[in-house]
Amino acid sequence: MRLKFSFLLLLFTGLPLVVRAADPASVGLPATSPYAAVPQRGEGASALQASNSMNPNISVVGWFQGMTGHPHDPGHEPEPVLQLKETELGLQSIVDPWARGDFFVSFDQDGAANLEEGYITWFHLPGNLGLRTGKFRSYFGPFNRTHPHDTAFATRPLAEKNFLGEDGLAGTGGGLSWQVPNPWVFINVDGEILRPPAVSDTPSFDRAQRRDLLYIGRINSYVDLTDEQNLSFGGSFADGPSGEELNTLGTSSDTLHTQLYALDLTYRWKNPARAIYRSVIWQNEILWSKHELSSIDTVQSWGLMSWLQFQFAQRWATGGRYDFSQFATDNGTHEYGGLVFITYSPSEFSHISLQGSHVKRSDGLDENLGFLRVIFNIGPHGAHPF
Amino acid sequence: MKLSKLVSLAAVALVAPSLLFAKLQVVTSTEDLAAIAREIGKDKIDVTAIAKGYQDPHFVDPKPSYLLKLGRADLLIIVGMELEVGWLPPLLQNARNTKILPGNPGYLDASEGCHILQKPTGTVDRSMGDVHPFGNPHYWTDPENGRAIARRISEKLSELDGAHAAEFAASLKQFEETLSAKERKWNAIAATFKGVKVITYHNSWPNFAQTYGLDIVNHVEPKPGIPPSPAHVQDLIKEIKRDKIPLLLIEPYFDEKLPQKIAEETGAKMLLFPPSVGGVKEIKTYFDLFDYDLSLLKKSLNP
Repeated sequence: MRLKFSFLLLLFTGLPLVVRAADPASVGLPATSPYAAVPQRGEGASALQASNSMNPNISVVGWFQGMTGHPHDPGHEPEPVLQLKETELGLQSIVDPWARGDFFVSFDQDGAANLEEGYITWFHLPGNLGLRTGKFRSYFGPFNRTHPHDTAFATRPLAEKNFLGEDGLAGTGGGLSWQVPNPWVFINVDGEILRPPAVSDTPSFDRAQRRDLLYIGRINSYVDLTDEQNLSFGGSFADGPSGEELNTLGTSSDTLHTQLYALDLTYRWKNPARAIYRSVIWQNEILWSKHELSSIDTVQSWGLMSWLQFQFAQRWATGGRYDFSQFATDNGTHEYGGLVFITYSPSEFSHISLQGSHVKRSDGLDENLGFLRVIFNIGPHGAHPF
Repeated sequence: MKLSKLVSLAAVALVAPSLLFAKLQVVTSTEDLAAIAREIGKDKIDVTAIAKGYQDPHFVDPKPSYLLKLGRADLLIIVGMELEVGWLPPLLQNARNTKILPGNPGYLDASEGCHILQKPTGTVDRSMGDVHPFGNPHYWTDPENGRAIARRISEKLSELDGAHAAEFAASLKQFEETLSAKERKWNAIAATFKGVKVITYHNSWPNFAQTYGLDIVNHVEPKPGIPPSPAHVQDLIKEIKRDKIPLLLIEPYFDEKLPQKIAEETGAKMLLFPPSVGGVKEIKTYFDLFDYDLSLLKKSLNP
């Protein structure tokens, strides 16, 4: 009883904070955006139409790519020599005082549209929680979360492609994010439940039975080593269906599963007093997979990538990437290779990059490719995740 | 004493002081705002600045460690005018602190009530470089804007911590008196070089120039945020020689190699000219900023 009293005392002394966080209306949250990249200052409504100030921010990213060499990637169609590889339309705005909405529609070189992401995010739930629901890129490692045009590369890292798919792991569902409350170190825990992607999109998983779901967990942290250097690191886990198998009587089927594990480590260096001139990012990620081919046959395979980018002048950066990867369903073969690039950025909104890649494919053949990659962005500049 | 009583007492001992004597936790986007907040809040607040004075405030990495500070802040003070647009939104999104969101009591945009220059009148697009659609955000370099900021901060601190309102008002009075006395001194210094033509690296100084009579005739950047091209450098060299422009003012976070070369070729003098508190180690307060910059100009022009 007395212990209960102590607990109640603690509860009530902390309650005002909880109530304030839990009830945004009580603190008079505004209808305007705290988050929008561009403040919403409208012209005002007229008698004939509503104010434009409530329209979402609209941005478009174009990715033109020219390629030279002889593509050789067993199981994949070679890409055209010249292509507008991706056009991404982004619509982003505040939904109401408690949430924001983000939509990203991508168009491929043939103009086929794909809803890449579309989700609502509540950022300020009680207990240091954030929640999003809709269709989104899973936070299975920092690379998977990054849109392909925001990466430095003309090609997807082999391990990312072979385990998570050419466009990365994404799905429809919900995700809860919790910042561990403490004043010393940033620690974040994420949990997501998604409808599994089709095997044609993500080789590790498949839609077996309607009730099957993909579960993803991640813990990550960040430390400042000095004013100039910092480390981000994390671990990710995913468990979902990879197919189905008829039982011995042939009357029903059982779901087969894949478990994916990943560890990542990112080192960054940048002198804040010269932030626009020099920086280094070195990111590493290693993935392991346990993929059930049948109830008696499980494939264990793995892959890794390591990439380094060195910005050596205000508008210039260079770097390289090393890849090694087995396959989700085959650990008897592997492929490995690398990519180097040099990129000139006339501004923050356009990037011109020359790249060369070499891959030793699983059949022993070499693939050597050269790329010209041009990325350009119009519309409000959305800040990128750190 | 029973264990449960000990636990109760420990809880009270831990929680009560933090409630009774808790200082307001203030986070500012820049050191200039932090310096003014310290003048007003003194020992009643704890202040942390995100962008350091030696950093370009347009380009700050939104590090997760800032989330820890923002997550427990009672008040966030920003420069506004889109100065922080490239890095503050993701921090606010993830800080999980509703108190400091726009429109809430813990949010203060310091630009409100300040004299803002160079508000674009026509269409704004990126052909103009990193132009700010609502006006030039480097407004704190006018001490009268510093006065306006201090008044807003005093009001805001009093609103959040009414128990110390009288102390905040007294600090504001002291700040304004010191500022007025300093302004007389600064104006006297500036009178010795009024109308002098200068070239600055970035367009950071319109308020300072208007207040102290500098004539900014060009910038090393051809457009805000755009690195100088060889053609623009040649134009600058011709202009400096033709108009006998004596000074190049360079914010410390820009590479001084090119301005130094221009200075050597033209005979102009290049000064590392900090626009913010903390830009160099000698500038620790808002008053130091003007003391340092104006005495640097005076020494350079009237040796």
